[in-house]
Amino acid sequence: MAPTEVAETLGARLGSRLLGVEPFPGTAGRVRFDRSGALELFRSMRDDLGYLHLSMIAGIDWVDHREVVYVLWSDTRGDYALLSTDLPANDAHVESASGIWPSANWHEREAWEMVDITFDHHPDLRHLLMPEGYQFHPLLRSFKLHEPEQLEVKTRNV
Amino acid sequence: MSDIWINMGPQHPMTHGLWNLRVRIEGELIRDVDPEVGYLHRGIEKISEDRHYNEVVTLMDRTCYVAGLSWEHLYMLAAEQALHIDPPERAQYLRVLCDEFQRIGSHIMWYAAFVQDIGLMSPFLYGMRDRDLVLDLFQSYTGARMTYEYMRVGGVRNDLPPGFTHQARKVLDWLTDRFHEYDQLCLGSTIFHKRCDNLGVLSGKDAIAYGVTGPMLRSAGVKRDLRKDRPYAVYDRLEFDVAVADGADVTGRYLVRMEELRQSVRILRQVLDWLDHHPGPVLADRVPRWLGAPYAPVGQEGYLLKRRFPTGVGFSSVEEPHGEAQAYVVNQGGEHPYRVKFRSPVYSNVSAARQYLVGYHVADIPPIMGSVDVCVGEVDR
Amino acid sequence: MSNVTLYSISYDLSHAVVFAVGSLAYGSWRAAIDSNAVVTTIAVLVFAVILLAASMLNTIVLIWYERKLLGRFMDRRGAMHVGYAGLLQNFADGLKLFRKHTFAPREADDLGFYFGPTAYMVSSMLIFGILPISSGWNSGALPLSLLLALVIFSFAPLFIFVSAWSSNNKYSLMGGMRSAAQMIAYEVPLLLAVVAVVLVAGSFDLSTIVYEQQNYWFWGPLVVALVVFVAAMLAEMERIPFDLPEAEAELVEGWNTEYGGMLFAFFMLADYLRALVGSILVVLLFLGGWTLPTWVPSAATSFPLAGIFWFMVKTYIVFGLFVWVRASLPRVRTDQLLRVGWNRMIPLALLSVFLAALLVSARCLPVFGCVPSLGG
Repeated sequence: MAPTEVAETLGARLGSRLLGVEPFPGTAGRVRFDRSGALELFRSMRDDLGYLHLSMIAGIDWVDHREVVYVLWSDTRGDYALLSTDLPANDAHVESASGIWPSANWHEREAWEMVDITFDHHPDLRHLLMPEGYQFHPLLRSFKLHEPEQLEVKTRNV
Repeated sequence: MSDIWINMGPQHPMTHGLWNLRVRIEGELIRDVDPEVGYLHRGIEKISEDRHYNEVVTLMDRTCYVAGLSWEHLYMLAAEQALHIDPPERAQYLRVLCDEFQRIGSHIMWYAAFVQDIGLMSPFLYGMRDRDLVLDLFQSYTGARMTYEYMRVGGVRNDLPPGFTHQARKVLDWLTDRFHEYDQLCLGSTIFHKRCDNLGVLSGKDAIAYGVTGPMLRSAGVKRDLRKDRPYAVYDRLEFDVAVADGADVTGRYLVRMEELRQSVRILRQVLDWLDHHPGPVLADRVPRWLGAPYAPVGQEGYLLKRRFPTGVGFSSVEEPHGEAQAYVVNQGGEHPYRVKFRSPVYSNVSAARQYLVGYHVADIPPIMGSVDVCVGEVDR
Repeated sequence: MSNVTLYSISYDLSHAVVFAVGSLAYGSWRAAIDSNAVVTTIAVLVFAVILLAASMLNTIVLIWYERKLLGRFMDRRGAMHVGYAGLLQNFADGLKLFRKHTFAPREADDLGFYFGPTAYMVSSMLIFGILPISSGWNSGALPLSLLLALVIFSFAPLFIFVSAWSSNNKYSLMGGMRSAAQMIAYEVPLLLAVVAVVLVAGSFDLSTIVYEQQNYWFWGPLVVALVVFVAAMLAEMERIPFDLPEAEAELVEGWNTEYGGMLFAFFMLADYLRALVGSILVVLLFLGGWTLPTWVPSAATSFPLAGIFWFMVKTYIVFGLFVWVRASLPRVRTDQLLRVGWNRMIPLALLSVFLAALLVSARCLPVFGCVPSLGG
């Protein structure tokens, strides 16, 4: 499917909240959207375009802003699609996709703890890879390696 | 007995690694599960940001310790897309060779661990014995048995040693016979069917919704294999079938993996034939010099920093033995990748644990989790 | 030869020692020492020590045998380094366990925690005082020796459960529960299969049962009982495919998860003692004990200690079959195991009793010859 087709279908739904669809090699395109239309876009991708499978969510820290990249796969169309949205660094939050694709759950937890992006209405936003009570966000550019980190892990009662 | 939570892990024979499955049980029945991962988190994505493109290969071997070459391939595809480099044809065939031998090694390792989970002792040793032959082959051309560091941006490090293809064919012949033996030991046993049929059922619809891929998805009858659907390297020139089963249960996953072993042998025979008759370079010519070296040459660091390579974003996906792995590499120019993100198939497969574990018995946890083929190194990265 | 028993040997031995000691003493001391009571006491002790040494040695050799056999099944060589072909490996392992510090979890119940393995060990050893290994083993003065052996054999779930519960560990508790459920479920078919043997042999005395098998061994006419007995025995011994109480895949080590050092060694040794007892019982009840068919040349049966020799050969072959099963079968699940136990094994055992009763009433089978006269 060509990026223009995707843009047509999504544009009818999202209007100005769709910022554009760029071609991206090996996929149906890279959909750039405004975070206010996140939930609607997710739903449209799943129901109108048949992207039933969310492969991964990557958070990227661009220092001045942050980006969330969603990778989707459609079984019927047989191709990938990338979604990407930019978030301001001081207010990085976006609607959770875990209600649309259950597989988003862990990916969002990881993005939250690694890149400090909050996912609204996430059912269970807690640490995944890092110990509970960890206060840093390792994949931010400001987190430098080779520095001893001040870490105190609280023991937990299970 | 009322409900109790038990921690299966972080050190538990079921886990095959270092993770924790918290299970709420009522008697012998599973009521709820909560997988906890992260015990093996090494921050591979973060470390990659401080490394040259080629140095990330070292980390890829350690991502999944039974499928290092598949992960190297995955990263290389993304990095090459980000850096706009094309590997030569022979290198691509060599990568497929690596991939498929790695798949055989990984699946045999899975078989060995899985049969141990249901209490079969002998095939565990048989599996380890046969996997050694594959490791010997790896050793003969990469120099290592586990951490290969074989692939490079723009190709692979070195060509095959003389006589390799002959030796590899002998190994494939031996393995084909052994696969038959494996099947007899498992499928021929009534107890195996009693234990594994209709166990850990995850329907195709749920599997897709929860991001489950690989043999787990194919066992539910979904014919999804990246090697066919989105051929990378030279898979579009090779003949093979996608293994599917329709039980969506543990037996189905067993059948899928066993069929994949046979298909891998089939692919490897074609690849070996091609390699015999098509000598050529294995590393692209136009690879920047600093990419080929483990470290930037002394005195050139400043030059490298000044020089801007065309920026780009690489996205690749590979049918790894456990499922669908993806890499997302951001190149902002300069010698280090700006951001590397990996998607591990086992990560998603484990995250769906509640879907295929609740309602079964405690004794079913090892076979079910065994059939998922958990490789904690790649879950935690 | 047949009137010389192990007990008579130890009696003579103690008599000689007591006489020698007594001859050095004076007057009334001599009478006190050289009394029958002292001689008997010492004879019993000597008897017990010989039994202990024999059974422990056998158990350790049994472990070695299993390791080597399992190794061959798995295409490897098993223990090789300590001693010739690894013969001393188990002694080294035992020494290591013996030297280890034995500790209990803080929250464990000490009494149960230490009592469990000890009682398990002791009860398993007790059975060896009862089993006749050959015609010259004991005086045969135990008319209910089979019953006594099985009673002691069935103590085990209690001790396992005590030690599992007092470990205060969820895995141990689950293992203990499974163990108790399993052993109780399989106790019934085990005893019913034994009833079939007793019906045909007409006696609860193990020696008599063996003598009744001089014409033909019981495994032929009682093949159903043999199948039930072996399957139930596998469950009682907690070996694959019925080793769920200590299924290491899900329960770590089951009821002995918290045990280490010598207490673990007790469990391990007692397990193998019970495996030995199981194999011995199969040989005694179904495979003719220390007797051989009459067509075997007499040279093979008349050398000194031939009875013990052939008995041990048979026992090790039976145990080898158990090892073979272990090497080639997966483990079943608790509910499946119990379902098979209650729904299949018990009817089958009842059938075997019925067949045995038919056999006894018919008195004669063309294939197997005539049933020997009922004992008593």
